[in-house]
Amino acid sequence: MSRVLVAMSGGVDSSVAAALLVEAGHEVVGVTMKTFCYSETPAHGKTCCGLDGIADAKRVADALGIVHYVFDVEEDFTRDVIDDFVAEYARGRTPNPCVRCNSNTKFRDLMARGRLLGCDRIATGHYVRIEDGGEGPRLARGRDLSKDQSYFLWGLPAEMLPHLLFPLGALTKTEVRERARALALATAEKPESQEICFVPTGDYRDLLRRRLDGAHPALEPGAIVATDGRELGRHEGFAGFTVGQRRGLGGGFSEPMYVVEIRPGAREVVVGTREELGRDVVRVGELNWVEAEPPVPGARVSVQLRYRAPAVEAEVEAVGDELLLRLREPQPAVTPGQSAVLFTGDRVLGGGRIERAWRVSDVSA
Amino acid sequence: MDPLYLDHAATSPLRPEVREAMAPFLDARFGNASSRHRWGREAAAALEDARADVAEVLGVRPSEILFVRGGTESDNLALVGAWRAGRSRSAPPRLVTTAVEHSAVLEAARWLREAEGAEVRELDVSPDGRLDLDALEEALDGTPALLSIMSVNNETGLRLPVAEAAALARARGALVHTDAAQAVGKIPLSIAEASVDLLTATGHKINGPKGTGILFVREGTVLEPLLHGGGQERGLRPGTEDVAGAVGFACALRLAVAEQAESARRLETIRSSFGRAIRDAIPGARVNGSGGPRAPHVSSLGLPVEDGAALLMALDLEGVAVSGGSACHSGAESSSHVIAALYGPDDPMATVRFSFGLGTTEEDALAAVAVTREVVGRFSPRAARAAP
Repeated sequence: MSRVLVAMSGGVDSSVAAALLVEAGHEVVGVTMKTFCYSETPAHGKTCCGLDGIADAKRVADALGIVHYVFDVEEDFTRDVIDDFVAEYARGRTPNPCVRCNSNTKFRDLMARGRLLGCDRIATGHYVRIEDGGEGPRLARGRDLSKDQSYFLWGLPAEMLPHLLFPLGALTKTEVRERARALALATAEKPESQEICFVPTGDYRDLLRRRLDGAHPALEPGAIVATDGRELGRHEGFAGFTVGQRRGLGGGFSEPMYVVEIRPGAREVVVGTREELGRDVVRVGELNWVEAEPPVPGARVSVQLRYRAPAVEAEVEAVGDELLLRLREPQPAVTPGQSAVLFTGDRVLGGGRIERAWRVSDVSA
Repeated sequence: MDPLYLDHAATSPLRPEVREAMAPFLDARFGNASSRHRWGREAAAALEDARADVAEVLGVRPSEILFVRGGTESDNLALVGAWRAGRSRSAPPRLVTTAVEHSAVLEAARWLREAEGAEVRELDVSPDGRLDLDALEEALDGTPALLSIMSVNNETGLRLPVAEAAALARARGALVHTDAAQAVGKIPLSIAEASVDLLTATGHKINGPKGTGILFVREGTVLEPLLHGGGQERGLRPGTEDVAGAVGFACALRLAVAEQAESARRLETIRSSFGRAIRDAIPGARVNGSGGPRAPHVSSLGLPVEDGAALLMALDLEGVAVSGGSACHSGAESSSHVIAALYGPDDPMATVRFSFGLGTTEEDALAAVAVTREVVGRFSPRAARAAP
């Protein structure tokens, strides 16, 4: 029997993950990470700070007969995730805060403190699998492809894999709910959280207004322009837009129009047709390889460019500090700031942040 | 290893004698002490017996004992009640207290400052428990004052110079309150000698029931009640009396005071072997307040560990139940105002409070040292390597 640290958010998934570890005979230590303060007044930490999640996780831990602690990671989380989130929008990009959190905050803290608490393994309720075909542990997509969360975990350091357990990797969401009901867990019927945890209202512009200087260019009015430079209208700040977005552009176009680019320097939001949205060359930075060997130029991989988007075929053109990918078909909404995650079949090779995307015709021209 | 409870300063187990004394009042003798019938008379008699008991043990009059529902309530009634009574009658007193008081005193004083405009002075205390008496005199000068100074600090066990400070204060006509929650049964305690006007004690720190306590109010000291209702406890603490609680408190107090000298010797022995063993096992460990006079049941350590919150969790997982600074800041981590007051706000040490009590043996204390050494070694391999 080993001692396992399990991250419990207070949701049904991590509740069931903890329950499965208990059933498997491990000594389980539950922990909830306190990441931020809704009211932004840390001095009164007892009355805010995602307390519902903490309370739910505690109830489940009590019911399972395991200990439960709270890890306060607010300082790290604010620096590594919230500040980055704000900075990315301020640059006209669209961040993946959950990726940042997993790569920089959550797993690092769990590993570090897990060791201090004498834990051999770290577990979470992510829908991903650790496969070991004899050549060491590999990260792979969860069995339930509709819930698969591998897109969020490309930033895990490879050396962590031997220490990780993902008890839900082989289950479907339906099965997880059934287990939670069978065990009468307090979180069994809790609805899925869709929002970014530190934007509970769903309106991230509010957060930007609070954390950016009111006069920040990202929040200032600017022009909506066509790909040929014609001004088509005005916007209230480019931070409110993301590449591929269709809503919020006003009407009056003869065919559906999408945001195809954000130009922070000129405060311009460029719109175009679906055809104009397509990109097939992608430069990816801030790379991390979950597999020991990065792919070599010429390698054929599949790449996922958005959460819930299907992976598409691509060829590696160059790899170093950055990665250059050539997509087989142009893809819509290849968005700077989002993650590009590389797979071989179901296995996660690694990934990075999308820096830029072009049409091959532009590049060769 | 069986889990070790070394957190008696947070709360302590109920003594069987106390439980037995309380039992009839949780059962057949359930009456309301304010009722005039047989049940009520029985309850009232038990309540007054308990009051007389407490008064006798403390060497004061029964009419000077108010039963309240714990230490925090007692502290609040003393500070807020005396401050408001002063305000009603002449001028509100200046509140003079120390930076190491329990939150029940500090927060009450700060609340009076924010909400009602009280003038508050918080005096520094040195790491060996000394108070700058010149600063105290200065704080007491020129205005009516209420001095609130704790007898024994709950986080470090440091004994504060209550009698000396009280003499200074009374010579200037100030009222004096002491929170003696951690002193009762741990050090010799004499209200006559300490010469205080108000004294707080609580049941659950002396193997009595939780939610019980008293405020000693010297005859002639005027308070305003915080609650308003049926006039119980001379109108200062209205609400149906907790007879079982009062009986339990009185029983626990009598036992604690009767056994004080013997249990102090026993705890002193345990604490010194604990302290020696810790210093041998963990180079760089500091015993907080060790240079000053201390009550025998607390050993607060400063350990060379960055992540104090994880240290407490690790000790818990290995079966050693202790606190950070105090048990009041649970949940997420929170630093101690007492350690900051004694050692500065940037003190790099992690604070762990071990506190001993009924049933603690020297073997328990030494077993806890072995666990602590192993756990601290995980945090900084250097700290444990030097040990044998």
